[in-house]
Amino acid sequence: MFTESPIWRIKYLPKTLNEICGRSDIKERLMEFIKDKNFPHLLFVGSKGIGKTIIADLFSKEFLGRFYDANSKVTYANVPLTKEEMKQARSEAYVSTSKIGSIAGKKITTPPFIRIKIKPFIQLKVLGDVPFKILIVKDFDSLGSNQQAFRRLMEIYGTNCRMILITTKVSKIIDPILSRCQVFFISQVDFLSFEELISTIAEKEALKIDKETISTLYRITAGKLSNAIDLLQICSISGNDIDVDKLYENLSNSKNDMVKSLLIMCFKGDFRKARELSRKIQSSYKFSSQEMFQIMLTEVARLPFSTYSRITLINFIAEADFRAIDGRDTDIQVSHLLAKICQFSEVM
Amino acid sequence: MDTQNTEKIPWVEKYRPKFTKDMAFPTAKVGRQKVDLIEDLRKFVISFFKEKEKINEVNRQIRAHNRTHEEKEHQDEKKLPLDKAAVLLEGPPGIGKTTIAYALANDLNMDVIETNASDTRTKGALEAKLRETTKSRGIMDFVVQSKKKLILIDEIDGLYGVTDKGAVPTILSLIENTQFPVIMCSNEYKTSLKSLYSKIKKYEVNSLPDDEVMKITRKIIVKEHISGISEKELELIIGKNKGDLRGVINDLQGISQGSLNKNNKELILNLNRDSKEEIFSLIKNLFQNVNTLKEARNVTNKSDVDYNFLYKWVNENLTSYIRLNSEIANAYENLSLADEIFGRIRKNQYWSLLPYFYDLFAGGVVLSRKHRTHDEYFHRISFPRFTSTGFFSLSANERLVVEKIQKKYKVSDIEVVQDFIPFLKLLSGTSRKQLKELSDWFEFDANEKKLLK
Repeated sequence: MFTESPIWRIKYLPKTLNEICGRSDIKERLMEFIKDKNFPHLLFVGSKGIGKTIIADLFSKEFLGRFYDANSKVTYANVPLTKEEMKQARSEAYVSTSKIGSIAGKKITTPPFIRIKIKPFIQLKVLGDVPFKILIVKDFDSLGSNQQAFRRLMEIYGTNCRMILITTKVSKIIDPILSRCQVFFISQVDFLSFEELISTIAEKEALKIDKETISTLYRITAGKLSNAIDLLQICSISGNDIDVDKLYENLSNSKNDMVKSLLIMCFKGDFRKARELSRKIQSSYKFSSQEMFQIMLTEVARLPFSTYSRITLINFIAEADFRAIDGRDTDIQVSHLLAKICQFSEVM
Repeated sequence: MDTQNTEKIPWVEKYRPKFTKDMAFPTAKVGRQKVDLIEDLRKFVISFFKEKEKINEVNRQIRAHNRTHEEKEHQDEKKLPLDKAAVLLEGPPGIGKTTIAYALANDLNMDVIETNASDTRTKGALEAKLRETTKSRGIMDFVVQSKKKLILIDEIDGLYGVTDKGAVPTILSLIENTQFPVIMCSNEYKTSLKSLYSKIKKYEVNSLPDDEVMKITRKIIVKEHISGISEKELELIIGKNKGDLRGVINDLQGISQGSLNKNNKELILNLNRDSKEEIFSLIKNLFQNVNTLKEARNVTNKSDVDYNFLYKWVNENLTSYIRLNSEIANAYENLSLADEIFGRIRKNQYWSLLPYFYDLFAGGVVLSRKHRTHDEYFHRISFPRFTSTGFFSLSANERLVVEKIQKKYKVSDIEVVQDFIPFLKLLSGTSRKQLKELSDWFEFDANEKKLLK
């Protein structure tokens, strides 16, 4: 039996391309593609959690119609291969002599990720009455040098399969890929559409929310709809009236806030507690140290420091991040950063 | 002639007690209970033969029954439970685990069949050596009542994975079918022997108390007419061997035999048999006693501890010894540089950088401290518990939850863990009703619900 999700962000996920909040120009372009039954390789660029994947997914769903399941695939480039997949990759790494008819066996040098996750899909024929298949590759930037392998794949199998590459950092994408794709910059939802969506949700869930609160919500969640809806749902538990105070009250547990309180703890000068907290954050959110440093960087810009201390802090973070690249134990680098901030707080 | 011969025998063998009454009295515990080791073992051996006899009698009847009946009415032969057929003695070296087995056998007029780490103990070799013992009686036994036997599998922790392949299952099946009691000895707990530990009784033999060692040493001194060992030196020898009687006797022989000049005597006295310092004492030593770079180098050079680990221990325990923020910062400056250097060494094989690494993580950290805290002797050394792998990975339990969520809500693993699960935790933390609603919708079971709390 189909029951409605108790989680609003799933409940109010758009079900068609048209329902997507805002971004009318992008939607228009994509609609044209669907009408023409043709499109080039696409590259979606936009910050985290902004809705790139859902746009790509809905677009391919509408493009392929009822052949969607057979002809589309979503892969995550940053998810490492599982053990079985690695085993498979190794076993296929050599073609035996009998197969190619030469004396020596031939070593295949394609990266395992491409060989296991990409090639089997794009080489297969199109099923059903659609012009080509669609492959969605998420976090494309994390492929690094493996992007090179995509250059040829996009040309050779382009007629069979079109790709939608999704990335947060356009600077990490190599030029040859950029030149083969049509780039879509997916921006924040504009405030008007945001307000419209939040109002409809509020109406359906019988919430009372005024315009000022919505604009605060828009600001603190930086236009990320899923986070905004989450916040709304948490606020709604303690009553149907939602005001600005309530928003701030419930905000305090988000991950950025945890990092913020970590910084504040460092400024109190208690290194041991700060390290305890940082380990807690890292293990509960499964942050890599690099992600931690990133969030710290944004939080440093937000906290009320003098320009001098801001620059000093950024210097510290940069050094720790830099050392963590080569280092073996990132915990040491994080601890180093915390210790430095603790020391700095005494000097200040 | 005779005296020359006895001089060649190591004293350890010469003075190995023949009977249990001559032994230094070892104490042991099973689980947490203290037991009288000698008495317990004696009981074990005697009751083994009694029970075995009963079982053999029963089996004989069963075999007779099987011979005269059809196959489907056959009965299985009975077996002695494993814990009554074998025991394991575990304890530090030199406290008399092997000796006790021999002395016990002498007490009860039995022979000892021994296999130790010097033998190859593959499946085949073990079987060949011990096959006789699994048969109930030899042919000759009808003519002469032969001596009973005791099987001693010594140094069982010296079984090595490849060379002694298949040894553990063989030992287990041997214990199952044995006609004689089995005593096994080992120095330390080994995970590869886990299947053995769970099935048999384990005695943890304690190291000998110093006065017990002293008593026996004095006996030997009298018998060998040793002079020129002062009381102080004797205490020193006993103290440094930490209950290892064999070590004490060996040291004694080394000092008293031949013509040793004073320097060599000192050398033996100061030589620490246990040269590998444990990591705990090493860290303690590093933070409590090191005042100069030279001392720090001494500590790291002497240790056999893998440096891969050592600097992580330094990271974990740094804060209990260094308190001032400025000193912590300096210490970490050095430690983090050491870590970076180590990473580059491993990545690019720049082994010439290794000396810097050592100096930075040991001396560099410890010597950044200018003030000592007065309570530093009471700190517990803690294990480096937090390991950050640097890339994203999920435990098996988390993986299940994530997959269940992805069935309903298609986002990547990382988004689920970093973005969605924290929200679910918040939401389910507000009320029980919410938790139930959520877990019903995602079809979580009780175990997975725990992750949301």
